[in-house]
Amino acid sequence: MNASPSQPHPAEWTETQDLLPSVERDLPAGRHQFHKEHMMAQIHEDLRGSRTPAPQRQRNPFLRRAILVPAAAFAVAGAVVAGLALSGGDGDGGRTAVATGPALTTQIGAVDTKGAPQLLDRISLAAADTSGPTAHDGQYIYIASKVASTYSKTVDDKTTIVSKELHSRQVWMSTDGKDGWLIEAGEEDITLAGSTPLTGAYDSLVKLPTDPDVLLKQIYKESDAVRDPEVPRDQAAFVAIGDLLNESYPPADVAVALYKAAAKIPGVVAVDDAVDALGRHGVAIARQNDTDGQRTEWIFDKKTLQLLGDRTVQVKAEKDGEFKPGTVLFTSAITQRAVVDANKQVPGKAS
Amino acid sequence: MRTRVRTGDPNAFAELFDDHARAVYNHAFRLTADWSAAEDVMSTTFMEAWRRRASVEAEGGSLRPWLLGIATNVARAQYRSNRRYRNAASAAAAANAADEHVEDHAEETAGRLDDRRRISATLTALSSLKRPEREVLTLCLCEGMEYAEAARALGIPVGTVRSRLSRARGKLRKLADAELLRKKSELGGKKTELTRTDRQITGDRGYVIRSAQEGSR
Repeated sequence: MNASPSQPHPAEWTETQDLLPSVERDLPAGRHQFHKEHMMAQIHEDLRGSRTPAPQRQRNPFLRRAILVPAAAFAVAGAVVAGLALSGGDGDGGRTAVATGPALTTQIGAVDTKGAPQLLDRISLAAADTSGPTAHDGQYIYIASKVASTYSKTVDDKTTIVSKELHSRQVWMSTDGKDGWLIEAGEEDITLAGSTPLTGAYDSLVKLPTDPDVLLKQIYKESDAVRDPEVPRDQAAFVAIGDLLNESYPPADVAVALYKAAAKIPGVVAVDDAVDALGRHGVAIARQNDTDGQRTEWIFDKKTLQLLGDRTVQVKAEKDGEFKPGTVLFTSAITQRAVVDANKQVPGKAS
Repeated sequence: MRTRVRTGDPNAFAELFDDHARAVYNHAFRLTADWSAAEDVMSTTFMEAWRRRASVEAEGGSLRPWLLGIATNVARAQYRSNRRYRNAASAAAAANAADEHVEDHAEETAGRLDDRRRISATLTALSSLKRPEREVLTLCLCEGMEYAEAARALGIPVGTVRSRLSRARGKLRKLADAELLRKKSELGGKKTELTRTDRQITGDRGYVIRSAQEGSR
């Protein structure tokens, strides 16, 4: 290699640079102007429609999906942060902004490596006693939750660890998963409509096999198809099941099967103490992602064993990692689930 | 500029488009291996930028990293599978080869031939990587972004940027075979475009990493 002595970097950089020659192309003739005019037309249309930042109708369907379906495809923490990045950060131009605070922290609960099957057994018994939802075509599943998260924020060259404080989130999903709405404090309201059904749509939950072995096999298959190669296979399957349990409303028999399937995933443990986003203490079923030292916990009420919420905690320091052990990267508490008759309809308090 | 973008000044977006459309287009191409897909991604990126203008922080430098981050998300959402990327990359390489054949004797196209070969080499290298590695590599190496900038653009921790980049570099080094080295010597002194990456390199083991560690203390 002929790295010049004036270059302060090691030779290996030169090698990789030669493999990635930087050649750029102009847009085809006329296309720059075409797309620019298209963008300007949209901007002027939006500005005519409203002087405030207008929710845009023509959205990329994949982006909407990415907000709800990320965990299967990406690492959990990465997904949370990516979700925030997609839906815009702080200071949302006059909207009720969610306060930013210091990193969220918690006591890390003690793990019982052998306790998961027994705890999950009790949890599934409790779930079997609960009456799950029955929804018919045209209805919507409504889920309200409180969420908070910690992320790293970089301004110029300075990175700090900050949190988005506890705020409310409401999701509506049509039974077929092709329509819906998301309202999250500090963000623009957005439609969840799209041609690809949302993960955890009621119709697809109802169709899930209730034999835990068959179900687990299907979970692995589906998660293998989309998971980030950096997320270990068992972790991705655990997170995928969590997605179907948390911001979701599975029928009782499906919930039971999901818990029983989770009990069969290697590395799933019981945790003696975990706090949900609302500060309620409970026990947890959890699994640690050894790649990044983060543990995903599903939190249950100690007595009733009802699901309270879920969270992701940094339990092990990652080499060169940004988050100290005890940092809560994401936490969510489910406050209400219901079947409603229309998109954006809020259920009566009684339901 | 940031303030004008935040407040939704149409002229600011016109300038933003003129300044960065080409960079976004080329970045999108590296992530999709398909020029027409890259054009779609570029167009969607600016619409998305307009919609998300309120998320621009008041202080900071160029908005280019912000745009490239949006473009990465748009491209990722549309072109998930590696198999699809590899297919597109080999199709692009085949198209380049066919063009070379046709225009073989025209002297004025010699520069463009070199460009085509280099683009094919880039695609070959990029298609040997996994999608997350490719994203980090294109941002850090091709676009000269610093770790912290790339981390913010991708919404991942700085540590993850570093580990992905080092894995990507390891894989690329294995590709440094005789053929590519020969190509390099054919290309001679055409190095002007590569200088942009120097900024990344100085940041490589300097303050970027330190500031990330300080941030976690």
